[in-house]
Amino acid sequence: MVTVFEKIISMCNIQTIKGGYLMKKLFVVCLLIFAVSCTKTYTRPSEEEVTPPKEMKEEVMKVEEEAPEEIAYARDEEIGERDLSPAEVAEVAKTVFSDIHFDYDKYNIRPDARPMLNQVASFMSENGDYNVVIEGHCDERGTNEYNLALGERRGKATKNYLVSLGVSSSKISTVTFGEEKPLCTDTSETCWQSNRRAHFVVTGRR
Amino acid sequence: MKKQGSGVRGQGTGIRGRGSGLNKRLSRFLYCISYALGILFLFSIFTTAHARIYIDVTSPGARQLPITIITTGPMQSKEIEWIVKSDLEATGIFEIVDPDVPGAEIIVVLDVDMSGGLKVVLSVRDLIENREVLKKRFDASKVIIRPMAHSIADDIYKVATGKDGVFRTKISYLKELASGKKELQYMDWDGYNSKKIISRGLTTSHNWSQDGSYLFYSSERKRQWKIYVLDLDNFRETLLFSSKGLNIVGGTSPDGLVSFSSSKDGSSEIYSINKYGKNLKKLTRSFGIDVSPVFSPDGGTIAFVSDRGGTPQIYVMTAEGKNLHRVTFEGAYNTSPSWSSDGERIAYTGRSNGKFQIFVVKSDGTELRQLTVSGNNESPSFSPDGIFLVFDSDRDGKRGIYRMRSNGEAQKKITDDRVKAMAPEWSPYLKK
Repeated sequence: MVTVFEKIISMCNIQTIKGGYLMKKLFVVCLLIFAVSCTKTYTRPSEEEVTPPKEMKEEVMKVEEEAPEEIAYARDEEIGERDLSPAEVAEVAKTVFSDIHFDYDKYNIRPDARPMLNQVASFMSENGDYNVVIEGHCDERGTNEYNLALGERRGKATKNYLVSLGVSSSKISTVTFGEEKPLCTDTSETCWQSNRRAHFVVTGRR
Repeated sequence: MKKQGSGVRGQGTGIRGRGSGLNKRLSRFLYCISYALGILFLFSIFTTAHARIYIDVTSPGARQLPITIITTGPMQSKEIEWIVKSDLEATGIFEIVDPDVPGAEIIVVLDVDMSGGLKVVLSVRDLIENREVLKKRFDASKVIIRPMAHSIADDIYKVATGKDGVFRTKISYLKELASGKKELQYMDWDGYNSKKIISRGLTTSHNWSQDGSYLFYSSERKRQWKIYVLDLDNFRETLLFSSKGLNIVGGTSPDGLVSFSSSKDGSSEIYSINKYGKNLKKLTRSFGIDVSPVFSPDGGTIAFVSDRGGTPQIYVMTAEGKNLHRVTFEGAYNTSPSWSSDGERIAYTGRSNGKFQIFVVKSDGTELRQLTVSGNNESPSFSPDGIFLVFDSDRDGKRGIYRMRSNGEAQKKITDDRVKAMAPEWSPYLKK
């Protein structure tokens, strides 16, 4: 503080010599303001104002550890569809639907996916007993939440395409897994491409 | 303080150099006035110092408070001291001074007793005025070193800054298991003491209620994405919202609302609902993807991600879905917004040169700053005091949780190198 104070005084003095009467006046004003601020600053608060007081009253705090207990999970109601039993799966296993793929950050059906979708559509119209779930997936890049929404769009775009081929929309449901279930975990375009997919799961009838 | 004085002088010289005649007089007048104001400003700082705030956290880097910590007690008490020091040092506003080196302005004495449970008497003494400014006894029935040390650090921080510390807050995050499945966990602010919370289903987005007593999260169970809420007092989970399609929780407001995205009507839109799962309100209507809605700290504004303009960008609107405007314009991929505690800034993930980085911008879209440079950095979340940000990064190989100060300084990995962890959310201040 002292050094700052001295600097200010010396600077103001130079001004006074050069500036004449007006500057002298101003200098007095400066000094006055300074003096006022000084008195204010250096007045120590009286003993009553000081908190906490000299003799500290000892506070006591209980410290506890918070440990999670066993979680009581919410009950999930059964959804209408059930997955096929292993025997049923073996029966449909002869029909293999391979995944269709998407461009980065896109959900439009690419021309190379059409033959597979035609195959799924004809299977669905010939086998009325089966429903299909379309899973939409993304590559690992980008935000989880946005990717979930993107995966949903991929699933829905695939469903819409199948519906346009005449499959009853009630037989197709969609679910997104975003980037949560990658087929491969390398950081390469080949790997990312294989993860950007719609996957078909055949389920039993309601 | 010297810095302030010379700044004012520099300005004055500039003005003097230019003027002549009447201008000269005027400039001298201004010069003296600027001095008077400068002096007043300096002393206003000085008087605040007398109001028992030792260091101002709102101007980081201005000065570090030299502090000495001495511990007496059994060997294990050194661990308490070590944690307290590491908490205080992480803030960047303390300089830990060795007991036998002079220069400390504050001395902290920890008297540790482990003869039955854990008892610590904390004494904080102002060495300039030579008086005790805090004396407090901490009492725990078990030897719980970490919560004890963080509580002590909180009290020292409060004495020095007048503000609440975040050393006893938690960070919830997702831990990826070897199977690829993600589990919801939480840990202390320094990455220790991690605990499993939700392992059923596939859990993704999660967030804390503003009173810290509930966790909201989205889980996929039986091919359905639903929003659940866990009561942290009794660890009972209930269903908050379900519908067909994708339901992902975003954030919470101080008056108990939860914002989320749902594709129940086809396209993913933003909704709010109260914490009992009632009073559903639809806030957006657009063809694009709208996700990740988070309430500002006062609950008045919602920031969210929308690709209505062609690419995912951050938008803000009122909590009623009015006055929509776009916040981010740089880059073609900007997601995961998080509000600072003063509601002025939004941290988010943005793609730059093919990599994901953490950015901060004011909610009106100005003062954009990039905070990370190496690797891919995502999912920023502010600490409740706005001093720190937590995020995930793959800069060291395996993705893990990192912490930094909100100006980008002191970036540090806080999860173990063997753990793959992501999507951190900083809790509010918690009841102790």
